[in-house]
Amino acid sequence: MKNKTYRNVTVFLFLLPGLILFIGVLIAPIIMSVVYSLYDLRSISTQGMEFIGLGNYQELFTSGSISFWKALGNSLLLAALSVFIQLPLSLGLALMLGKGVKGERAFLSVYFLPVLISTVVIGQLWRKIYNPDYGILNAVLGLFGASNVMPTGGWLGNVSSALWCVFIPTLWQYVGYHMLLMYAGVRSVSPDLREAAKLDGATDAQVDRYIVIPCIKPILRVSVIFAVTGSLKSFDLIYVLTNGGPFHATEVPSTLMINMLFERNRYGMGSTIAVLMIALCFAFAIIISAVFKERDIYGKK
Amino acid sequence: MKLKKVVALLLAGAMVLSMAACGNDGGASSSAPESSEESSAAPESSEADDSNAEAENTTSGVDLSAADCTLEMWCIATESDSNRHSYEAAIEEMASEYPNITLNWEAFENQSYKTKIKAAMAADEVPDIFFTWSCAFLGDFVAQDKVYCLDETYAEYQSELPEVMMANSTYDGKHYGVPLTMNIVGLFANMELLEEAGYQEIPGTYDEFIACCDALKEKGIIPFGCAGSETWCVTEYLESVIEKSIGADAMNDIFLGRATWNNQEVADAVDTFQSMVTNGYFDPNGISLSNDEVKANFMAGKYAFYMNGTWNCADFANDENFFPKVKVAEFPVINADKSELGQLIGGPSDTLAVTAASENAAVAAKYTFELGKKICHYGYLDGCGLPAWTPYGDTSSVNALTQDVAQICNEAKAYVLFGDTAMNADEANTYLDYVAQVYGSNIDGKGFIEGLAKDIR
Repeated sequence: MKNKTYRNVTVFLFLLPGLILFIGVLIAPIIMSVVYSLYDLRSISTQGMEFIGLGNYQELFTSGSISFWKALGNSLLLAALSVFIQLPLSLGLALMLGKGVKGERAFLSVYFLPVLISTVVIGQLWRKIYNPDYGILNAVLGLFGASNVMPTGGWLGNVSSALWCVFIPTLWQYVGYHMLLMYAGVRSVSPDLREAAKLDGATDAQVDRYIVIPCIKPILRVSVIFAVTGSLKSFDLIYVLTNGGPFHATEVPSTLMINMLFERNRYGMGSTIAVLMIALCFAFAIIISAVFKERDIYGKK
Repeated sequence: MKLKKVVALLLAGAMVLSMAACGNDGGASSSAPESSEESSAAPESSEADDSNAEAENTTSGVDLSAADCTLEMWCIATESDSNRHSYEAAIEEMASEYPNITLNWEAFENQSYKTKIKAAMAADEVPDIFFTWSCAFLGDFVAQDKVYCLDETYAEYQSELPEVMMANSTYDGKHYGVPLTMNIVGLFANMELLEEAGYQEIPGTYDEFIACCDALKEKGIIPFGCAGSETWCVTEYLESVIEKSIGADAMNDIFLGRATWNNQEVADAVDTFQSMVTNGYFDPNGISLSNDEVKANFMAGKYAFYMNGTWNCADFANDENFFPKVKVAEFPVINADKSELGQLIGGPSDTLAVTAASENAAVAAKYTFELGKKICHYGYLDGCGLPAWTPYGDTSSVNALTQDVAQICNEAKAYVLFGDTAMNADEANTYLDYVAQVYGSNIDGKGFIEGLAKDIR
């Protein structure tokens, strides 16, 4: 009994630093954000802040000038594009490289390189690519006689094209990241399984479809969660490329939150958006986990 | 010497014409003196040695020569900023005059600085001295007791820094900022392109101006470049059009909350601006460009006109190929019944302030005045704007473009401060949002005034 107590105390003491860090860095700020979201906090000090209950939430959902629904819609669209375009592309590359093609390491490095580059640098790079006056995109289109394809206002200045133009660098940057995750999974699939399937007459495509992909489902789940939550939290690249413009066409909750917090000094409203973003990320992570659980290859729930 | 007199006179007279109230954010109020007697007390000029010697008389009890400390400063004078050289020259001079005071300074890009300084203030992780915009931007920090009051130190500099120039950083009768330069919105023109369209001078009336734009279009020259990705650049055009349509007084009343936005004349002015956009006077690609890109295009001869702050005179003057081609004027009057030439957009906004949390606040305060005076001096010589301080030393090297700006200001009858500086942060962003929508033709004048009347006041 004494030993058990001693062991429990020891375990607790070893856990304590991590627990303090977890509460201090993660839990406490979330709680504080929830508290601030209930106040009309319009200055950098908490002096004179007024309790308004769910007033910020109500304003966020009903105000036409804040455009939260537009921002949320853009985030969900980015998440959908990530899941249905970026991840299949990553999976395709991972399956291809996982077979052991010549120059595998070089390809891995090339695909992963954008992940290592600062997002701000990537943003500036793509701003140059899209530039209506000297951008390489227009130059290339011009070679094919399609120089008039650019929409009015430029690629990043047109409401219809801006979101797509923001998505392309995102895809380019993170396709290597997801590919590396999946590649690690593909390489961990036992060669015996592949060999057995081949002996049974399975083609490469069938091996991938019925052996490899089911085996790496846990990694696919992680990738989907990262892609969706990453899209919901996306900020840096959009901030550099368009800062949410033109006319909120590329607005996402993060850019809206920064606008509220640091440009409008509406700290209560900014906290409200932060709380909603946390809630959405949790909700999607749970939903995605549940979806993948339902389809577990072993039929377990 | 003639230029010095012009500058001294305009400094004395210009500021009393407008901005009688600003910084009303957070309960802070302006105490700008309105008597011209007070402002005319500013000397026409003073010699550098005299002014420096006077500064050593320490009524605040601070002697910079005896001080020994390290100060931190944040500003926006990045490598690409017009003011960079004036900061470097002033800091170098300060370092040689006060070797025991070490100044560690960092410069940040304009837009990101606004975010950074607010976050730093919230976290109380601020430098001793910081760059700020006057009126509402600084007012928010003052209302939160984050800024050191400069009254005691200012008493030593009153003869060199007219009280009227302090108006935009004065709250409840107390001084909180050291102004550097003052600027207005100028209509810059590439005369080479205008000549191609048959114009030897910048048109003086609105009808001629529009005819000039049409002539430029016919020649395949884009009349205007405007950076849509930085909405403040759009306000430089829109505010000029509104001011020259409804008059400076009416515009000041709206900006300062004394009148509603729901004003049909404002709607008509906005429609006038929008018709210039829809008539193809503006580069359609400008909506996705930054101000640096648009300015580079203007200097490369892509646009005939560029309306922006007169701080750009420095960059234009530094480009020896472009400088001979450029001229500056004020935007022509649209409605002569309401407005007139001499009604300008601008005023002293660039300011240095001291944080209340500074361990060496008193030293930092005096250092800021000395540094501000030198930045102003070099900034004026470089053509970054007109001096908020009484000029000293030899100013004969000031470029011709800045001298033209000085002449425009000398004939000024009224000023309206930049809208996003005059309003508090929330209102300014709402305002900028509507301005962007006007530029993008998402809303018309009616939508502009009704939206602002609903969302701001």
